[in-house]
Amino acid sequence: MAKVSRYEQLDRAVQALLSGQERIPQHAQFAALLRVAAGLRDLPGDTFRARLKRHLQRSIEMATPTTATPRPAPAATPYLCVRGAAAAIEFYKNAFGATEIGRLTQPDGKIVHAEIEIGGAMIMLADELPEYGFLSPQTIGGVPLKIHLHFDDVDALVRQAVAAGARLTRPVKDEFYGHREGQLTDPFGYTWLVSTVKEELSFAEIERRFAELTQPPAPPKQQPAKPRARKEQSVIPYLVVGEPLAYADFLKQVFSAEETLRTTGSAGGWHIEMNFGGTKVMMGGPREGSAGITLYTATLHLYVPDADAVYHRALAAGATSYFPPVDRPYGERQAGIQDAAGNTWYIATHHGPSYIPEDMAAVNLTMHYKDADLLMEFLKNAFGAEVPFVHRSPEGTYARARIGETLLQIGETRGAVTPDSPMVLLTVEDADAAYQRALAAGAESIEKPADQPYGARRAGVKDPFGTTWYVSSPLPRRKRPRK
Amino acid sequence: MTAPGHDADERRLVEAAQRDLRRFADLYEAHFDRVYAYVMSRVRNRAAAEDVTSHVFHQALAALPRYEWRGVPFAAWLLRIASNAVNDHWQRSARERGNPAPEPVANPDTETIEHHAQLARMVRTLPADQRRVVEARFLEQKSIREIAQEMRRTEGAIKQLQFRALEALRAQMSGTHG
Repeated sequence: MAKVSRYEQLDRAVQALLSGQERIPQHAQFAALLRVAAGLRDLPGDTFRARLKRHLQRSIEMATPTTATPRPAPAATPYLCVRGAAAAIEFYKNAFGATEIGRLTQPDGKIVHAEIEIGGAMIMLADELPEYGFLSPQTIGGVPLKIHLHFDDVDALVRQAVAAGARLTRPVKDEFYGHREGQLTDPFGYTWLVSTVKEELSFAEIERRFAELTQPPAPPKQQPAKPRARKEQSVIPYLVVGEPLAYADFLKQVFSAEETLRTTGSAGGWHIEMNFGGTKVMMGGPREGSAGITLYTATLHLYVPDADAVYHRALAAGATSYFPPVDRPYGERQAGIQDAAGNTWYIATHHGPSYIPEDMAAVNLTMHYKDADLLMEFLKNAFGAEVPFVHRSPEGTYARARIGETLLQIGETRGAVTPDSPMVLLTVEDADAAYQRALAAGAESIEKPADQPYGARRAGVKDPFGTTWYVSSPLPRRKRPRK
Repeated sequence: MTAPGHDADERRLVEAAQRDLRRFADLYEAHFDRVYAYVMSRVRNRAAAEDVTSHVFHQALAALPRYEWRGVPFAAWLLRIASNAVNDHWQRSARERGNPAPEPVANPDTETIEHHAQLARMVRTLPADQRRVVEARFLEQKSIREIAQEMRRTEGAIKQLQFRALEALRAQMSGTHG
């Protein structure tokens, strides 16, 4: 069963190469790739390349006679007032690769004038000088002006700037006017539009495209990317709600989910199956009246082509906002809502070749518990989960656990969020064994393993953290005597 | 791509830099990878390679006004400076160690140098995430786990990016070398 992927195989070979076992097998399938890899060890670092260039430029500045210092002077030079000019100069060096041209520092340490150059464009800056009415964005409370910079590789620039402390306030994307562009806000309050020119366009062409974009009625917008083919889904969230039919309509209307099955469940209520871009979510509930039934809610991380639109649709359909759309540093735009049935949805669009990140599904169950480590331990012991990713931070732990082919997200709740008590269907190879392991790991039995009329063997447990798990495995096909 | 040569474009670049030193940046961009590849192949150590490369360009900058366009391609001129700088480096480190150390690596051939320079340029054209994985893995020698933490991706995703990057580079390299 443990088939090693080619990514893994190649990585093992790379690891051997990096740790000095140099020999590249002649006939191995990866020989050509490893020859490339061997060459990569000797590549120059980007930082070095940029640093040397700056050093050379500085030498040139110094060597150029002062009478002949035609400054890089575009027609208009922005002059920034910042609180902390020295720190700002450092920041612009790290974030934008700025070169310092010079600074004038008073005995009290205040910088009254400085000049830097970013990709050939001059920027002037100084500390606050209230006596001249020269005030920083922090003092005034904002800047109604943005500065536009061009770079060769805006994606790399944004990565560098964010690492230096800038905030990405609009994600990088291709714009109709031929730029690939994003927006950064720096720690000093200034906003920078950063872009790379992808197409050189005349203004007439830009105008034409603009007209096309704004013409009523707007042409139906194409979806930016398609959902990917799904892997086997081993974890299925099961929502139990008071009004299942109305809720199914909500899911269809807001999330464009597709109903694939509507039938009567084992307890006599509705059993409905929904498909979200390739991921299955099941739900159930009473046919009428919800008195006395236990509801099961969950937190689900949903990927859609346009998170903003879905968020607003959800609010219009009666959901409550948890948080409005925001750009996350890990490359997705995300909003949060709580629906009328009590489920929490993170609605996200990933910025990449697909709106769903490579290793995620369209819908991903997110488990919120007070202690992520205990939960991870339980998932490993009970269901053989792997934990390929753990990120610990002062705000809490975020982890991803994989059971079979499906990823679960684990988030530690800190106070404000009430832990969920979801119901989850888990497909395993051997329901009896999983049931026994779950009990040994501390779960409580709620249903002993038994054959089900729909061709599966099923058992139920409740884990110490409140999640109800139904584990099921397909029944072996009966061998019928043949004549 | 520009061959190390003697074409009109290069002549224009050199002459522009001779008139106005600030244009030296263009020459630096055009030749950095070649010089670094040459130096690295001879000193076999990153810190030393950075040191020597830096020295080469500062020397070239100082000597640029004396460079004459008389049949010696600019790249060859630079590599001659580099060759001398590498020899100085070996002599200096031999002196520091107190014994004459023969240079352990033979002079590399032009094809190898161009191949490495080409590879460096190709890496810069990779998509940002693949490029980051290549730098972290091969230059900074980080583990898959560290890279995954840094980039907030799974280890599997990083291995996949590594695979894609190597495939893309291999495809491009074979495209340029027949």
